[in-house]
Amino acid sequence: MGFLAYTFRRLIEMVPVLIGITLAAFLLLRVMPGDPATLILGTRGDEKDIAALQAQLGLDRPLWEQYFRFVLDVVRGSFGQSIAYGRPVAELILQRLPASLWLVAYSTVLAIVMAVPAAILAALRRGGAVDLMLRGLLVFALATPSFWLGILLILALGLKLGLFPVSGYGEGVGSHLWHLFLPSLVIALTTAAIVMRNLRSSLLAVLNADFIDSARAKGLSSRRVLLRHVLPNALISAVSVLGVHTSWIIGGTVVIEAVFGVPGLGNLLIASIFGRDYPLVQGLTVAFAILVVLVNLATDLAYAAIDPRVSLD
Amino acid sequence: MIRGIFVFAFALATLVTVALPLSIADAQTKFRLGIDNDALSMDPIASSDNPSIWVQLLLYDTLVRPSVDALKVEPGLAERWSISPDGREYTFVLSEAKFASGRPVTAEDVVFSLQRAASDKSRWGRFFRPIKRFQVLDDRTVKFGLDQPFTPMMANLALFSSAVLPKAEVQKDESAFFAAPNGSGPFVLKRWAKGERIVLAKNPHYWQKGKPYVDEAEIQVIAEDNSRVIKLQAGELDAVIKIPINQVRALQGRPGISTGIADIFRVDFVQLNTRKKPLDDVRVRKALNHAVNREAIVQGILFGTAKLAVSAVPIMTYHNENLKPYAFDPGLAKKLLAEAGYPNGFSITMLLSAGDVTWRQVAAAIQDDLRKVGINLTLRQIEGGTLFTTTKSGNYEMALSYASSDTIDPDQLIGFTSINPERANAFHTEWKSARVNELYELERKTPDGEGRGKMFKEMNAIVHAEAPYIFLYHQNATFAVRSNVEGFRILPTSNWRLEEVRLK
Repeated sequence: MGFLAYTFRRLIEMVPVLIGITLAAFLLLRVMPGDPATLILGTRGDEKDIAALQAQLGLDRPLWEQYFRFVLDVVRGSFGQSIAYGRPVAELILQRLPASLWLVAYSTVLAIVMAVPAAILAALRRGGAVDLMLRGLLVFALATPSFWLGILLILALGLKLGLFPVSGYGEGVGSHLWHLFLPSLVIALTTAAIVMRNLRSSLLAVLNADFIDSARAKGLSSRRVLLRHVLPNALISAVSVLGVHTSWIIGGTVVIEAVFGVPGLGNLLIASIFGRDYPLVQGLTVAFAILVVLVNLATDLAYAAIDPRVSLD
Repeated sequence: MIRGIFVFAFALATLVTVALPLSIADAQTKFRLGIDNDALSMDPIASSDNPSIWVQLLLYDTLVRPSVDALKVEPGLAERWSISPDGREYTFVLSEAKFASGRPVTAEDVVFSLQRAASDKSRWGRFFRPIKRFQVLDDRTVKFGLDQPFTPMMANLALFSSAVLPKAEVQKDESAFFAAPNGSGPFVLKRWAKGERIVLAKNPHYWQKGKPYVDEAEIQVIAEDNSRVIKLQAGELDAVIKIPINQVRALQGRPGISTGIADIFRVDFVQLNTRKKPLDDVRVRKALNHAVNREAIVQGILFGTAKLAVSAVPIMTYHNENLKPYAFDPGLAKKLLAEAGYPNGFSITMLLSAGDVTWRQVAAAIQDDLRKVGINLTLRQIEGGTLFTTTKSGNYEMALSYASSDTIDPDQLIGFTSINPERANAFHTEWKSARVNELYELERKTPDGEGRGKMFKEMNAIVHAEAPYIFLYHQNATFAVRSNVEGFRILPTSNWRLEEVRLK
């Protein structure tokens, strides 16, 4: 099956997943106590005011009708109207999407840049001082809460040394790269640690394989053995680990966005949950789901590109 | 190797830094303020969150506005006004103000905006519905007619939600208007990067000549408290609000930074469900008030900055100075409990909003104090959005909560916290006093002055004595500014007048 046909089929397969997601998001919000009208009016309204606002927001309709309206809004592409902002949900998501995508892409690139060379080094010098040091760093990266590390980096590199802005997003590509370096680094450290650990053990397994011995016996340079034979074979599992972890990053940028003042989707999600902005929470859930599905698709495609044994079907 | 990678990464970042087209500093003065949440909307009748209200107060004007001490209303767009002796007719004369577009503000605009604020789609309708008749007398004079006197009306007219908007533009296309609003306030909305910053530019037509003193005000959104404070220290901001209370002192010592603590219209308390035993007994409720060491809570947790509460309304106009906070007296508390038939205390549960460190500490302190008089208090944290609906359903015993006033008239919060039924059955305590209800009806028809003041004082004295709450304290608002900033302060209504800020 061709690349395009495969991609198309996978996108079609997304439809039932998304229907499931919309239903879950919708129902979870409805069983959660607290309602938007009461929260909005607070000290300012009585029962009548609350009922009127609920009617205005369409919350007095039967559940099936509310769900149907939501699905209709999704199909129309507006995703409904945010209660708090009074604007179409799709518009709000598109405003915040770039910052989140930047963060995910930037941190993934940084993670690869850190993890691959480190893993190769550790695998080649297995048990040596470098290997031990890298593995120590790995434990540190995995055990450190990103929140704390973020604040420390802001204090050290932002406040004391003034190398990076304390927070913000900036304008233009260069400015984004500069502003988002620290938050991306914080996210990348965990990812890099996980990818590195995985890649290191795959490298070790491949290095001990018979075909490597035969490649060496053929008289290939160790550089060529490493780049042509060892690395491609070891990368396969690292790619899937990276894919899974990138999906996790998408959901996990929330804290980092708050610490570094990045105007992404995470901040929007938190605020909308506290405010019981049903349409916005539903829309964001669907948006996050689409992102995760797309990353999984990209992972599978990358997989096929690296490993000729994998066919797209 | 790993060091090499870090060096590479930093080199990359440094390269980017150098390659950046650095923004060239111009002669314009710009004041940068850090806040914790973005505004949601610029439509005054659809907003109830603080950031939206704060920004709108800088973009739009109201007929009258609260004075800086929030004890009375002062001229806004209206340069003078009169109220008929029967309290049913309000006449306002507009000053010669202009919208940012240069068009004059007219009586038509005022009537349109007030009718819109009182309409069904307004979330603030109840504040303006007492106005039954709107009349344009001439271009600069309007008259409002009420069916019966309603004294809180003036304070309501000072609310942001009655902002005067240009009729023609709003009617033409609401969503286009609120995306690029045109008001008569000190600033105009120049750019709004959602979730990140709101840039305001000086309104050249502002009616208070000479103000604002700065050319631009930039409000940056940084959700995390620590990051906001660090940004101030790094000089990336000129002022921040909501600094964590435990950092106020530490920051005060830093060169070039000063901190401020402002009294705002807020009261913190524990709601007592007076329908549930043993809280139905006033002796038990008094005992609870005597058992809690509120002074220690304020000293230990709020760093001594909050005033103690004597009733369920903030300290504002007509505050009853004669009321003293319940004395911390565990002996008296025990005696009252014994009289009520609980010599060995009892077990009870208190709800609180999860995720707020200060409240968790306060709750723990209350728990400890109550244990000493034999009361076994269980704390139950629930998500903030569900606290209100839970107490409203009546399915609780005690709940740690607070109330804050939107207007400068104590009528709003006494109605909410102390009147049953009114809007919330005395904020879900279900407590009821015929006398307080009667005074409330009376107060609303009585013109401002000593007589009305006495009514509030009596109401608060009754609430104090009957204790449907454990009255705690009035939490402050915190802020910090760099030393080049002059004139930044948080008003009792919790907003700020950025038009009065100067940069040295």
